[in-house]
Amino acid sequence: MKKLSILVIALLALALGTVVSAQDDVTVTLASTQFNVVEETEKAREILADFEGGTIDFVPFEEGPLIDLLRAEGQSGAGTIDVIGSIHGTFPTLVNDDVLFDLTDLLASIEEEYDVSDDFVELGRMGTTDYQYYIPWMQATYIMAANNEALEYLPEGADVNALTWEQLAQWGQAMQEATGEAKIGFPVAGLFHRFLEGYAFPSFTGGMVTQFRSEGAAEMLRFMRDDLWPYVNPESINYDFMNEPLLSGEVWVAFDHVARLKAAFDESPEMFVAFPAPAGPAGRGYMPVVAGLGVPFTSPNPDEAEAVIRYMLSPAVQSQVLSELGFYPVIDGVETEDLPEGVATMLDAVAATVGADDAIPSLLPIGLGARGGEINEIFRNAFNRVVINGEDIDTVLEEEAVTLQTLMDETGAACWAPDPVSEGACQVE
Amino acid sequence: MKKTKLLPYLLLLPSMIYLLLFFAYPMLESFQLAFRREGQFLNLRVEPQDEAAVVGTLALQTDVTVLERQRLEETLPNGRTRPFYWFRVEGLDTAGTTIEGWASQANLFIESRTESTTARVVGGESAREWTLDYVNRMLNDYRFGSALGTTILLVVLILPLQFILAIIMALVLQAQIRGSSLFLYIFAIPLGISDLASGIIWYSIFTQRGFLNSFLVGTGVLESPYIFIRVGNESWMIAAIVLAEVWRATSIVMVIVVSGLQALPRDYIEAGQVFGANLWQRLRYIILPLLKPSLQVALILRTILALQVFAVVVAIAGRDVLSVLAYETYRWYDPQRFNSPNMAAVYAGFIMLLSLGVSLFYLRAVRSEEEAAKLL
Repeated sequence: MKKLSILVIALLALALGTVVSAQDDVTVTLASTQFNVVEETEKAREILADFEGGTIDFVPFEEGPLIDLLRAEGQSGAGTIDVIGSIHGTFPTLVNDDVLFDLTDLLASIEEEYDVSDDFVELGRMGTTDYQYYIPWMQATYIMAANNEALEYLPEGADVNALTWEQLAQWGQAMQEATGEAKIGFPVAGLFHRFLEGYAFPSFTGGMVTQFRSEGAAEMLRFMRDDLWPYVNPESINYDFMNEPLLSGEVWVAFDHVARLKAAFDESPEMFVAFPAPAGPAGRGYMPVVAGLGVPFTSPNPDEAEAVIRYMLSPAVQSQVLSELGFYPVIDGVETEDLPEGVATMLDAVAATVGADDAIPSLLPIGLGARGGEINEIFRNAFNRVVINGEDIDTVLEEEAVTLQTLMDETGAACWAPDPVSEGACQVE
Repeated sequence: MKKTKLLPYLLLLPSMIYLLLFFAYPMLESFQLAFRREGQFLNLRVEPQDEAAVVGTLALQTDVTVLERQRLEETLPNGRTRPFYWFRVEGLDTAGTTIEGWASQANLFIESRTESTTARVVGGESAREWTLDYVNRMLNDYRFGSALGTTILLVVLILPLQFILAIIMALVLQAQIRGSSLFLYIFAIPLGISDLASGIIWYSIFTQRGFLNSFLVGTGVLESPYIFIRVGNESWMIAAIVLAEVWRATSIVMVIVVSGLQALPRDYIEAGQVFGANLWQRLRYIILPLLKPSLQVALILRTILALQVFAVVVAIAGRDVLSVLAYETYRWYDPQRFNSPNMAAVYAGFIMLLSLGVSLFYLRAVRSEEEAAKLL
């Protein structure tokens, strides 16, 4: 009898303890459009498992459903999501719907500990001066990768870290003559519009929107069609991520987002080199990509949500995200010494891109709101019509420029870098 | 007596409700999207309140001057308070008169809520208007014509091949030769594979380092891989898509034909045999005419599905070189691309009209022959 009562008391105590600790252990829901591939989700969950202020429930989302869910939660007032993690391009819609907390105070207190990149902080204010819609989370950019076998065909005197577009075309030609195959690859089925917006147009024209129908743009399309595309693997139209064609050897030189090249560098770091995208007459265009963290008004645990953001910006987490997921830190002072070989190679190329003397940082479109995707189509159309369908360059640029101007006028978007700041809607010259 | 009259309708009621709720209603809504524009305008109010009387309206993107601001606070269910601003603004309405009134921060873009003296109208109430703009935009889109052409070309190439093959396959099964059940299993395998998967399988056959090229290079037929799928080689892309679709979807037609064959009265065929009709004559004059109802069903089903072909095309031909109507629908809908449900609805409605037209045509074509037969 005594034994039984002890057992009962012990069980009660255990149950009580579980209840108490369950109350302590708040679950913070982090909805992320990043790392929504199963392997990446697993890694992200492992990294976030060390959070001490509760449990982080990392829920991968597609962008559209996430926006719809936040909209619905905002309207009903009852929420389930505490933190949103997404790339910059998701936020304009959320800003338009007015569903996000101002995180200015949180940012200030984080910046007492670490310095967060100012450019990205400004992007996170979405054009305002005193409303921090998101706190930068991590960054990435696009680089080139080459198989070591390709290096012997580099044109004479060319430095792989300071390549020009002309040299890339000559390189492609040399590889074609030696192997009989077109060995350069672009992710035309993937993020190719970013290549056009952030790399091709800026390096030939120095601008993105304002110079859309300039002579430089026409020259760029002519170069793409006549000089470069003959040496680009025809299967590029089907490439989404470049890691696979690089690993299979189908392509030797490729351009893509670091996260989409990472699998190749992880698997065979000794097989590849990484380097910045080529420069054109106007400079070396490149597009920084930033992902941010925001807190919706409907968050059930706003205090814990802020603690999670603070945690995710800590050097330990930022360095783990870099080494395991291939996104780069947005704070200063992150350990980069014990990185896996492939990640270190890519990091050097990113540093060389950002630090290049002739770099032209070209930002993701700002101020287009929910119509951000249309500008991508306009750039793609211009390219497809000229290079793939063989239409006349001037006609195509003229027609697409009209569409582009209409988009700018209808959204009232001001110019963004590399175009000079504008009063009112950005104008195509 | 009355009860029995009502009974069938009562039994039909649940499925009718289901159809109306989950098919007819959403279909009607999305069809409306094709012709309806959600215009937005901002109502300025006499007081900083949502329900206050309206002073006037401003169009989107109007620049306004901020005359006065009021900070309100809202307590959220999670315990936080959130500051909420109303601004008294002045701007030109669509008629060109200067008006002033209150607008909430949700509808204005303002650099600094506490300091800025100018703002821009970015939101407001919706006004619905009917428009043909979306339809015109589709008809004038430079990809519309080629997408329609490719879709029809695929239907024309795929359907006859599928029906000939399906009838042969069904006859092989029906002949009850040894191992015919094994054939059934083999024929049925593609039924279990999704269209995207079959697209990827066929892509991996035709790609530069794919099975076909490896085989041809390995056996010495080719010296270096031939690139089937590339710009300027559209006919091979079409061929690969046709092969993938025929491989994937023929067995559905076969299943329908087999069930039709099994329902045929054996007497007719045996009578034909007694009168010395050979296999071809029996097929042409007995089996096929009797199979017509099954073939009609299969034809309607396959044509509708072929008009919607999507994943196979995307997997084999990429997205920008060869397009079909269903991909165009997705391209306009995709939040990463156009993000325009209205344009997607126009395309979806167009595909629906095509399917409807084709189905009506098949129904009429077959019925009139039956009537003609009756007259004889």
